Amino acid sequence: MSDALSDAGSDVNQDDAQEDVMTPAELIAKLEEAWLNEKFSPELLENKSEVVECVMEQLSHMDANLQRVKKGDAKASIHRMEIDRIRFVLSSYLRSRLRKIEKFFPHVLEREKSRGEGDPSLLSPEEFAFAKEYYANTETYLKAVALKRMPPNLQTVDMLKAVPEPCLDSFVFLRVKDRQENILVEPETDDQREYVVDLEEGSQHLMRYRTIAPLVSSGAVQLI
Amino acid sequence: MDSSEVEFLAEKETVKIIPNFSLDRIYLIGGDLGPFNPGLPVDVPVWLALNLKQRQKCRIVPPAWMDVEKLEEMRELERKEDTFTPVPSPYYMELTKLLLNYASDNIPKADEIRTLVKDIWDTRIAKLRLSADSFISQLEAHAKLDNLTLMEINTIRAFLLDSLNCMYKLRSNLQPGSSKGQFTDY
Amino acid sequence: MFCEKAIELIRELHRMSDGQLPAFNEDVLRQVLQEMEALYEQNQTDVNEAKAGRAELIPSIKLRHCCLLRNQRCLTAYLYDRLLRIRALRWEYGSVLPANVRFHMCAEEVQWISQYKKSLASFMRSLGGGEGLDITQDMKPPKSLYIEVRCLKDHGEFEIDDGTVILLKKNSQHFLPRWKCEQLIRQGVLEHVMS
Repeated sequence: MSDALSDAGSDVNQDDAQEDVMTPAELIAKLEEAWLNEKFSPELLENKSEVVECVMEQLSHMDANLQRVKKGDAKASIHRMEIDRIRFVLSSYLRSRLRKIEKFFPHVLEREKSRGEGDPSLLSPEEFAFAKEYYANTETYLKAVALKRMPPNLQTVDMLKAVPEPCLDSFVFLRVKDRQENILVEPETDDQREYVVDLEEGSQHLMRYRTIAPLVSSGAVQLI
Repeated sequence: MDSSEVEFLAEKETVKIIPNFSLDRIYLIGGDLGPFNPGLPVDVPVWLALNLKQRQKCRIVPPAWMDVEKLEEMRELERKEDTFTPVPSPYYMELTKLLLNYASDNIPKADEIRTLVKDIWDTRIAKLRLSADSFISQLEAHAKLDNLTLMEINTIRAFLLDSLNCMYKLRSNLQPGSSKGQFTDY
Repeated sequence: MFCEKAIELIRELHRMSDGQLPAFNEDVLRQVLQEMEALYEQNQTDVNEAKAGRAELIPSIKLRHCCLLRNQRCLTAYLYDRLLRIRALRWEYGSVLPANVRFHMCAEEVQWISQYKKSLASFMRSLGGGEGLDITQDMKPPKSLYIEVRCLKDHGEFEIDDGTVILLKKNSQHFLPRWKCEQLIRQGVLEHVMS
C-alpha cells in the first residue's frame, strides 16, 4: 500500500484545522444538509460557496493521491467509490440551485440587487454571472423574435411580473435539529384560529415553508 | 426526490461485515474505516459492504432488528396502534431491499423477513394515506410526523404537496385582493 | 374573434408532452403580429378621433388594447415555454441536440441555446475557485454494484475504476461495475446477462 493514500485524509485534516475547525467528515455532512435543503425548499437558499470549494479541494486532493497509486490497488477502488458518491451530491446540489436560478431569474437578480451592504449574498459569484447572462440572453431572444415586431408601446415585457415567483406558502417536510418554541401556525381558513407549536428536537413536521424559512437558513431545522 | 436518492442515503448507514481479506485502515474523506482482518467483524457503510459482498470479499452480518421474531413483534404493534410506531432504522425498507437482494445467503430466513417488512410497510403506508386524507379534508396547517421514514414520506410527497398547493391557490384566489400575480406564467 | 390565433400557439404546446418540441410556428406567429399591427393602427386612428370629442370610441379602444396585451402575453408565453423545452433537451441529450430537435428550432432559438451552453460552460469552469466541475455528469446516484455482462462485439481494452484493464472480446463474459457498463450496453457492445 502506498504512503500517498495512508495519509490522504489526515493530511488534509491538518491543513484545514488552521483555518477552520471543521473536519472533512463534518464538511461532507454540511454538504449533504445543504443538498437536501436546496432540493426541498421552494426558494433559492443562501449560497454555500465555501462548502463547495472545500469539498472540491478534498476531491482533487484525493484524486491527485490516487494518480500516484499503482493500478489494481484495493484501497484505491474504495476511495474512488467514495469520490463518486461525494461528487454526485455536489453536482446534484449545484444543479438544484442552477435550476432555481433559471426558474426565478428576475426575482433572484432583484433580491441580489436590493441586498444591503454586508448581508450575505444569495448567489455565488459564478451563479451571479450565470444569472445575468441568462437574463440578457432571454431578453435579447424575446426582443429579436417577437417584441421588436410588435407595436411601439408593446416592445418591452416586465420580467419581474412575467416570470412566476417562488411560492413560499408551499408545504415542506422537516426535521428539527435545535428545539424551537412558539412557532406560529397561521390558519388555513377564516373560521380557524392561529395557534403555536413547539418544535422538539428530533421531531418531524409538515407545515408551510414561509413559517420556518428563517429556521432553515439558521440550520435549526433540516428539510426532508 | 427520486427513490434512488433515498436509497443512496440509506447506503450511508453502517453495517457489520466479516471480511476474508486483510487491509490497513483506510482514511476516507467521510471518516476512517478498518483495519480489515480475515474473520474479524468490522463496521462499514452499506455501499461498501454490498460492493465487497458482490466481489465475494466478505460476509454481511444482518442488523440485529432483521430477525423474524423481532419483526413479528413490530408488525403486531404496528397493526395495533393507530399512530406510527418507532422503526428500527430510518432506512428499514431500503436496507431490507438492498441486503436481501445482494446478500440473502447471509441472512437467515430471508423470505420470511422480506414478507414481514413488506407487511409493516403496507400497514404504515395505509395509515399514512389515511392521515394525508384527513390532513387535506380538515384543512390543517401543521402535522407532526414523528417516526415516519424518508422513503415513506417520499411515497406521498409529490402528490400531497401538489394537492395542497393547488387547493391553496384556489382558495387564495377566491378571496378578493389576495392574488399576488403568482400564476402569471407569462 | 381577436386573440384566437395566439391561443392556437398556446394550445399547440399544451398538446405536446413535456419533452417534445414542435416545429417553430413562424406562420401563426406572423399572423398574430399582423393582428396586433391592425389593432394598433385602428386604435391610433380612434384615439385621435376620441381626442377630438368622440368619447363613445373609448370602450372599443380599451377592448383593443386588452387584446393587444393578451396577444403579447400569449406570444411571449409561447416563446418562453419553447426555451424551457429546449433547455430541458440540452440537459437530456448533452451539448449536441438531435437533428430532429434542431430542425424544429428557429434561428433565434439556436442562438439562445448556444449562448446558454456558453454560460453553462463558463459557470462550470469557474466552480470551486476556477477548478471546474462538470455538473451535467453524475445525474444519478452512483451504484457501487457489479453485474454480469456478455460482450457482443470486439471492443478492445477497457479500464475499470480500480485501474484494472480488461479485454472486451466478442462472447467473453465479465463481472463489471454497473455504472461503467451502462453506456456500453446502450451502444450494443455489452449485454446484461440475467442470472
